[in-house]
Amino acid sequence: MDLFYIAALNIFRNYRRSAITILSVAVGCAALACFGAFINFTFEGLRETTIRTQLGHLQIYADGYAENHVADPWSVMIHDVDRLEEVVENIAGVSTVTHRVSFSGIGSTGQSSVNMSVIGVDPVREVDFADFEIVVKGRNLLPGDTETGVLGVELAQGLGAEIGDWVTVLTTSRDNIINAVDFQVIGIVRTGSTEYDSVFAKVPSDLVQRAMDTTAVERVVVMLNDTADLPLIRPQIEAAIAALPEAYEIRQWDDLADFYDAVVSLYNGLFRIFAGIIAIVVMFSVANTMTMAVFERTGESAALRAIGATRGITMRMFLFEGIIIGLIGSSLGVLLSWLIATGIDVAGGISMPPPPSMSQGYQAYLKLTPNVLVIGFAVAGISTLISSIYPAWVASRANIVEALQKQ
Amino acid sequence: MGQISLQAVCRTYTTGTTKQKVLDKVDLQISDGNFSVVCGPSGSGKSTLLNIIGTLDAPDDGSVMIEGVDVSTLTENKLAQFRNKNIGFIFQNFHLLPVLTAAENVAWPLYFKGVKRRERMRIAKEKLGLVGLANHVNKLPKHLSGGERQRVAIARALVCEPSIILADEPTANLDRKTARKILDVMKKLNEHHQVTFLCATHDNLVVEYAKQLITLADGKLTTEATTKAEAKGAS
Ligand SMILES: Nc1ncnc2c1ncn2[C@@H]1O[C@H](COP(=O)(O)OP(=O)(O)O)[C@@H](O)[C@H]1O
Ligand SMILES: [Mg+2]
Repeated sequence: MDLFYIAALNIFRNYRRSAITILSVAVGCAALACFGAFINFTFEGLRETTIRTQLGHLQIYADGYAENHVADPWSVMIHDVDRLEEVVENIAGVSTVTHRVSFSGIGSTGQSSVNMSVIGVDPVREVDFADFEIVVKGRNLLPGDTETGVLGVELAQGLGAEIGDWVTVLTTSRDNIINAVDFQVIGIVRTGSTEYDSVFAKVPSDLVQRAMDTTAVERVVVMLNDTADLPLIRPQIEAAIAALPEAYEIRQWDDLADFYDAVVSLYNGLFRIFAGIIAIVVMFSVANTMTMAVFERTGESAALRAIGATRGITMRMFLFEGIIIGLIGSSLGVLLSWLIATGIDVAGGISMPPPPSMSQGYQAYLKLTPNVLVIGFAVAGISTLISSIYPAWVASRANIVEALQKQ
Repeated sequence: MGQISLQAVCRTYTTGTTKQKVLDKVDLQISDGNFSVVCGPSGSGKSTLLNIIGTLDAPDDGSVMIEGVDVSTLTENKLAQFRNKNIGFIFQNFHLLPVLTAAENVAWPLYFKGVKRRERMRIAKEKLGLVGLANHVNKLPKHLSGGERQRVAIARALVCEPSIILADEPTANLDRKTARKILDVMKKLNEHHQVTFLCATHDNLVVEYAKQLITLADGKLTTEATTKAEAKGAS
């Protein structure tokens, strides 16, 4: 307490220098927190895109799907689709339940053949998903569509397909018989992911089921109103479907989102590098100030040691100065990042170019979470503390006799 | 045997290839209640002697006993505690903490002893009263004159009730009139409160106050009792 008091008084002694140091700690903290907040925003955007265009929050499969769907996809289909969908739909917080049958095949318009991934969807139930697809030409699937389909932009280019063209997809049906599905292109869309757009085709599920000679579906996709509710709603869904006669297994979007995971680990890597840079900058700034403080006060700290301050106490007097600078600086940094985030909100975001493998630019905002604030605070604060250690140690080891001769 | 006892103390400084023997087998006894003054020209080794007695510096050879303790046996931290308890320091440059008030400066050594703040401040104010600064307890050093600062330093040296107070050139930064006032304060503390002083100085004014005069020259030391001590009947 008393050492904190004296440390605080000593900080005010050269208030201009201390202010600059505190500011540099604050800026370091804010820079890190804001970068983290930007990454948060990016993750969230990517997460929502991934969920709402491709995966849904949860996917329900017939039991054994994960193990057997490659070897024997037909053995792991959901047969009682209507009942399942009805049960899940009635749970509060669930926004959409839809089913999908997908298959891969070679698509062709007569000009060229391209590998494609066809998803059969229920246009009636698919409205929420479709919202996230940007229609480039034509229109999206609508309730009542039967022998029509939409293509991803890159896929349409690869096929050389235009609106109104017919596409034939060759695949194998349940008994290994070669089968063909024909549909007419009514729209060309973007899902946001270039990679996905180069194989993506979407047709009414009836069309696929007819071609495959089945009424079963591969999976039922569940979308919630809010991703944050997932941990709450998932157990409810599990409980509800456990009561049904058919056995199911559930997978959550993040089990399936390889691209999302890759981006997250890339950004986390960048964040760590940035944190390291911030730490080094803060350390230099603080070390400079602390070294000057120690140097200026050589005489008086030697006098204190002469009258009974142990090395430990002398060291703590300087360390506490670093701690106070770190605490004030980091607190200001938190405030500063909040101001920056609010400022960007008010200004309507920052225009960003399309991220890697995405096709659209976007408006970026900062999503400050307690997490990034704590990290910014901790990195700046701890760097301050670390860089105070050496100067404080020097002060506590100085030769008293020599130091006393200095003013 | 006095409370401070030096035996065959040697201190040699080596700068480059030259060796300078500043203290050459010095013996010294200083008894309780003394007012000893080390005099000698600049560079004669007065500060070196005081620093060794103050345990800030260690002799190359010989023994230093303070209050019956051989200080060479103490570790760095034990030495700090030992100084805090047994030795008061008055410096030429005062060395007060500029951020603390007079009373806080005086109270600070008690912190190292673990005395509570309220009690510390009470004792500090009492000591400031002894040096005639009862009206200046809440002033910062920068608002005090040189003489007042040195009196704060004396109060600080007194505050842990040490067995001896070491003062290295206590009057060097003061004008004559102020120097005399400071010496009067020290004399009063010596006579009425049995505080032992050891001053190093080349100021003849200080020599006037000595009960024991120690002269340093060429690494050797001579001690004489002054008329003052005889008049008092040598405590
Ligand atoms: N740290 C040191 N290194 C080398 N020589 C020193 C050192 N300290 C003092 N001296 C030398 O020792 C002699 C005595 O110094 P000091 O004890 O300070 O004398 P005084 O206090 O009587 O002026 C001087 O000649 C000085 O130059
Ligand atoms: Mg000297």
